[in-house]
Amino acid sequence: MLAIEGLSVSYGQINALKKVSLDVFGGEIVVLIGANGAGKTTLLETALGINTPLAGVIRFKDRAIGGVAVDRNVRAGLCLVPEGRGVFASMNVLDNLLLGAHNNLKNAGKHLGRVYDWFPILKKRKDQIARTLSGGERQMLAIGRALMSSPELIMVDEPSLGLAPIVVNDIFNILRMLNKEGYTILLSEQNANKALKTAHRGYVLETGTVTLSGSAEQLLSDPGVREAYLGA
Amino acid sequence: MEVFIAQIINGLSLGSIYVLLVTGFNLLLLVAMIIHFAYPQVVVFSMYITWLVLQLTGNNLFLGALAAVASSVLLNLASAPLFQKVMKKRGEVDINSTMVLSLGIGMIITDVLSHSFNKGFPIAFPDQLSGKTALLRVGLISILPGQVSSLVVGIIAVSGFFLLLYKTRAGRAFRAIAEDPSGARLVGIPLFKTGIESYALSGLLGGIIALLIAALLGSASPDLGEQVAHKVLAVSIIAGLGNLAGGLVVGLLLGILEAIVQGYISGSWSNGIAFVVMLVVILAKPKGLFGIKL
Repeated sequence: MLAIEGLSVSYGQINALKKVSLDVFGGEIVVLIGANGAGKTTLLETALGINTPLAGVIRFKDRAIGGVAVDRNVRAGLCLVPEGRGVFASMNVLDNLLLGAHNNLKNAGKHLGRVYDWFPILKKRKDQIARTLSGGERQMLAIGRALMSSPELIMVDEPSLGLAPIVVNDIFNILRMLNKEGYTILLSEQNANKALKTAHRGYVLETGTVTLSGSAEQLLSDPGVREAYLGA
Repeated sequence: MEVFIAQIINGLSLGSIYVLLVTGFNLLLLVAMIIHFAYPQVVVFSMYITWLVLQLTGNNLFLGALAAVASSVLLNLASAPLFQKVMKKRGEVDINSTMVLSLGIGMIITDVLSHSFNKGFPIAFPDQLSGKTALLRVGLISILPGQVSSLVVGIIAVSGFFLLLYKTRAGRAFRAIAEDPSGARLVGIPLFKTGIESYALSGLLGGIIALLIAALLGSASPDLGEQVAHKVLAVSIIAGLGNLAGGLVVGLLLGILEAIVQGYISGSWSNGIAFVVMLVVILAKPKGLFGIKL
């Protein structure tokens, strides 16, 4: 579904990504593991269309999308749940959700019903200002908002960041559930243990290059990964 | 008491014009991310176009109103590419370059008005626009139908704008960009296209304002835009830059303050006193009464 080949991105003098190649196939959960500054967010944002690649090809559903505007990619079925949730704190829950459907307002009612079914708490809080939500609720809102755009591939940037362990479990359960519903998921995580137990495959990103890739089981038992990311 | 009531009505209709001006200014600041200091000059330019059309069509009010809205929208849209060109980076307000460009646009408009319309003399709008017979007259103070109708239209325009802002797709996108431009972009809201929509909407507001000023004052001069621009900037800073609700309150208060000064002290003091009061407020609250929202 998403195929990235030889992708390089730089911010001025800094090379954030160096010839990264990565594949996400339909129906998969793929995880990007890496420390802070490894280039995970840059990779996801570049796929979405925020950054223009220096070199390399990004294909989504077999169409080259390098340098295509974000709103067109969102319309095509790609979306990102940003790091730190990125909900609009001064707007209410319903408005936040409808923003996700900005390019697809015709079907908003249908999607809204499904999002409320999956996240009853959002229905309960629909008139509440997003600022008043807890961290976990905000993450659910951000995921719900992503679902409003009727995506095929959902990219989730560091979903566990700053959340209590029990809430992290909920979030990963939600991602697993969404995957079963047919959504393809690409997530980035520092919390490698949880992420690898959820994902089918993974890539390890270090200072802008992919150093290791394989199935989740392989990575979980890899001595290097265990030492660097699993604290074993 | 009659003087008081008359001046409250006057103040509210003047205030609703300030509110609309500050709202259009703030909309451009929040969504298009420009400081359009010369927005009031654009409005006065539309007043002149309206006057011209009224002259040419034998005071056809419908065509005059159409000309006001069309000229203001077109002028705003035409300036959009210029502003985009001078902005260094999309996604944040570039105060210096947009303000300089806007000042330049304002000067050009003022010059064009003083050279090419009515030989530079002030223009007078026909009586049909403001109404001839006073509804209420107390000494030198009178309430004309134009004042009442500009108040009514002003209230409708302000509420219409806020409804649009809070109940429509475009309004939701405006608010999202105002709160967090890069976040809005991540969600898939096109910043450029939505920015252009805000130019169009503030142009539409500008056309309505042009008609309201024409009905309220009954005349215009080339330097009117500049005078109003100072006040609009002052009101938006006092309310808190980008604060729409604050602009609503402060705009109305300024209108009432000026009208009260005109009614009880003297018309020639109203500007001076208004600016002294605003200076005191800004010294006490540098971020504005309601806080900056950028």
